Amino acid sequence: MKFLFDLDGTITSQETLPIIARLGGVSDRIDGLTKETIQGNVPFIESFIQRVTILKDISVKAISDRLAEVPLYEEVHRFIQEHREDCVVVTGNLFCWCEGLFNAIGCRYYCSEALVENDKVVKIKSILRKETVVDELKAQGEKVVFVGDGNNDMEAMRHADISIAAGLTHHPARSLYSITDYMVFNQTALCRLLNQLS
Amino acid sequence: MPTPKSVVISSAGIGSRLGLGLTKALLQINGRSLISWQLDLFKDVQDLRIVVGFQANDIIEEVLKYRSDAVFVFNHLYFETKTGASFYLGAKDAGEEIIEWDGDLLVHPDDVKTILETPGEFICYSDITSEDAVYCKTDEQGNVLAFSRENGDYEWTGPACIRKEHLTYSSNNVFNIFERVLPMKGIKVRAYDIDTYSDYKRVSEIIKHW
Repeated sequence: MKFLFDLDGTITSQETLPIIARLGGVSDRIDGLTKETIQGNVPFIESFIQRVTILKDISVKAISDRLAEVPLYEEVHRFIQEHREDCVVVTGNLFCWCEGLFNAIGCRYYCSEALVENDKVVKIKSILRKETVVDELKAQGEKVVFVGDGNNDMEAMRHADISIAAGLTHHPARSLYSITDYMVFNQTALCRLLNQLS
Repeated sequence: MPTPKSVVISSAGIGSRLGLGLTKALLQINGRSLISWQLDLFKDVQDLRIVVGFQANDIIEEVLKYRSDAVFVFNHLYFETKTGASFYLGAKDAGEEIIEWDGDLLVHPDDVKTILETPGEFICYSDITSEDAVYCKTDEQGNVLAFSRENGDYEWTGPACIRKEHLTYSSNNVFNIFERVLPMKGIKVRAYDIDTYSDYKRVSEIIKHW
């Protein structure tokens, strides 16, 4: 059994994107883009590319250092630490921005990649499609549980053996209602369920 | 003290026989939703699982007014399946002993206490009040020997408790799951389900005296 977790708002108790935007003084632009994406007016991949374009001139080290301090849901983090070998973080976020955060969480991860020069993002190298991680693990014979909360988790949740929509930081996306197996609204319920599944 | 058993409330159905266009969990009974009356009874149940389907979002919002640690289980095939499927989905990943509770069932609070404290597997039944009941046939000790559509000693109302290793799937009714593991200990309770409008009026009157 492998437990795959979305990162933002599922393991972290704050969304990381507004934090990065504040560092660069571009909160208004990022907020506007986020709103358009949530409303379904901008597809996720396009939104991601636009987001990186807005944020690319901010120091990569400053972002990674800042995100390493983002608070985590304690019970979720404890579950991950107790099942380190079976837990995987699956995020569309860039490795160069999340490196410090990944180290703090302490398990395997899949993410998007960028070319970095002189401490700045110069080019997106790959954008993670979360469902490919689910498919890869299932092809290895693993039973896969996916925990997510957003539109960009929907395909991964659809491909997973068991899907959990987690409304820890914000209400799960409405699109998840038609595909999810479970829905929870606090970390105690989530971890109780994960322990029952493990 | 928290009960170690999981409780699965099946609230996925469309409440078609009631004819109010509302899933039964949201029925207003004496100024409160039916699900809120049930949540009151399960305050000490740690692993509370609520199976949702029709009007899922409305039920979730209603439950969240009272507690945030319930696990919602989705029965996406709520139109094609009955309570057996909902109970199976709610129970398959739950604890070792699971109590099934139909979303339209209210049980006297004193009997709920007994139910939550009774160890092991059991089936609850009531005096016969419905015209189209499913009956329980029992022995002298009150153990349930069989279910019947024709006759019996009591009316099957639920709830009932099963160990996970005995759980099997049924797209039909919950008692179809339990009849595979009979005989089973029986407990007589004061239980009332709300299938029709007259049930609804009757239960509204009864619980005024609880």
